[in-house]
Amino acid sequence: MALRPYWKGYLKLSLVTCPVQMMPATSENEKVRFHTLNRQTQNRVVSHYVDAVTGKEVRDEDEVKGYQRGENDYVILEDDELESVALESTKTIDISTFAPRDSIEWIWLDTPYYLSPDDPVGEEAFSVIRDAMGAENMVGISRLVISRRERAVMLEPRGKGIVLWTLRYGDEVRDEENYFAAIDDEEPEAELMSLVQQLIKKQTQHWSPKMVVDPVQEALLDIINTKKKQLKKPSKAKPKEKAEASTGNVINIMDALRKSIEHERGSGKQSTR
Amino acid sequence: MVSTRANWKGFIKFGEVSCPVALYTAASSSERIAFNTLNRKTGNRVRREFIDSETGKTVERDDQVKGYEVENGQYIVLEPDEVAAAIPESNKTLVIEAFVPCAEIDNVYFDKPYYLAPDRMGTDVFKLLRDGMKKAGVAAIAKTVLFRRLRTVLIRAHGKGLIGTTLNFDYEVRSSEKAFEEMPDLKIEGEMLDLAKHILKTKKGSFDAKAFDDRYEAAVAELVKAKIEGRSLPKKKVPKPSQPSDLLQALRESAGVVAGSAPKRAAANAGSGRAKASRSPAAKTAKTAGAPQRRAG
Repeated sequence: MALRPYWKGYLKLSLVTCPVQMMPATSENEKVRFHTLNRQTQNRVVSHYVDAVTGKEVRDEDEVKGYQRGENDYVILEDDELESVALESTKTIDISTFAPRDSIEWIWLDTPYYLSPDDPVGEEAFSVIRDAMGAENMVGISRLVISRRERAVMLEPRGKGIVLWTLRYGDEVRDEENYFAAIDDEEPEAELMSLVQQLIKKQTQHWSPKMVVDPVQEALLDIINTKKKQLKKPSKAKPKEKAEASTGNVINIMDALRKSIEHERGSGKQSTR
Repeated sequence: MVSTRANWKGFIKFGEVSCPVALYTAASSSERIAFNTLNRKTGNRVRREFIDSETGKTVERDDQVKGYEVENGQYIVLEPDEVAAAIPESNKTLVIEAFVPCAEIDNVYFDKPYYLAPDRMGTDVFKLLRDGMKKAGVAAIAKTVLFRRLRTVLIRAHGKGLIGTTLNFDYEVRSSEKAFEEMPDLKIEGEMLDLAKHILKTKKGSFDAKAFDDRYEAAVAELVKAKIEGRSLPKKKVPKPSQPSDLLQALRESAGVVAGSAPKRAAANAGSGRAKASRSPAAKTAKTAGAPQRRAG
């Protein structure tokens, strides 16, 4: 991909080191690309930095980070100085531990990045580390400085490369006890369980990228096309969705489940259009 | 008893059955060191301004509208209420469209996790859904309008309750296959793989989030102190990448350094490079390593 890499550094396993590059897995893409316009002139709007005191424009090369010590007291920190702080993890992902993939619950996963070799010299070393994790069904745990914090990270093989996940800090995940305390331990009735299992089975499908398609983007494109044709009229508002009522009555659960299984619409999507 | 206010209240619906639920943020983002952007020439802070690209004049918030480019320079303008009209009315319901085996779910789409707890008396349907999904090893794909956006939500059993994770849309996530496209497809076998696996086994451990500390802020404070005092920090060593010709030796030394038995096996296979070793465990693992599913994007 002809993108500027987000980060470049090294991946290390004991005495094996290879140069790597990393990019975020998520992008700011929109399917329907909008530009910001000035309503008055229809020209595009752009942003720039100005000096907060003089009001004059500040060029890219004059932008620099400052650490605030007190009111109006800043210490300028150049990027290469920040990289020289006494932490290996600004530049090197040194894998200290390996754990079974299943031992890290999904709730700990924060943000994914794609990690790949940065130089043909390191391709073999990278592949060895990747394949060893794959063969043992394990993930690597390490540390990395990203966005001004040192994060715990998890490395998981994926295809030819590795996905690096930042992991949440202990105090970032709220204790589930607080939210689930009111749920008692009584087991659901066996007969109802059997019906639910039937219903689940009928509605089970394979994972498909279709499950993450955005219907709203399609609707936006429709609006745009309509406007293109009509040139002035704004589009009509969408008809209201039928309000869903709760049928959580205990005595009706059995009937509701039975009805669901009978009338199950197979793989029919609940359309929002 | 939950002391926090719910972010959202509504229903989970599957088939004809529904249960009232409340949704709570499960994870927050902790504080981090803040840097300001300064103008190097003056030492003053900077602020962002929005200007007209032709006239150079400032554009007020109210005059900033979304435009979709149809032809060069020609735009269709959409007012905020028109964009809002494309979003379905919020019906306060997480409508389950399908269940998917957990093992098949592509976690690269995960956005934010939320706890889903029963909202009122009567946890029967909630528990049926939770236990039903747990027994079947599946999670549910649902859609709803959440915080004024239509979202896909993955609902799964978690301990005594449920977790709903918002999923990013396909166009918001880069394809991993594309990201790794330019890499060669190297198959690693034999002694190198065995040595690497051995190293992995000696580093077996677990992840304990609570034991992890962020040392960055303290490291920056050191840098700031040094700058103020007119010192420079010692230069860090630049890591030396392993050369392909040294890789096998580096692996041997790594395995030897960590556990005593490896060098003996390594010596027996001196110079074997990528050739398959004759020991049966190696043959078995070499087979697993070459298994096609691991190459799947």
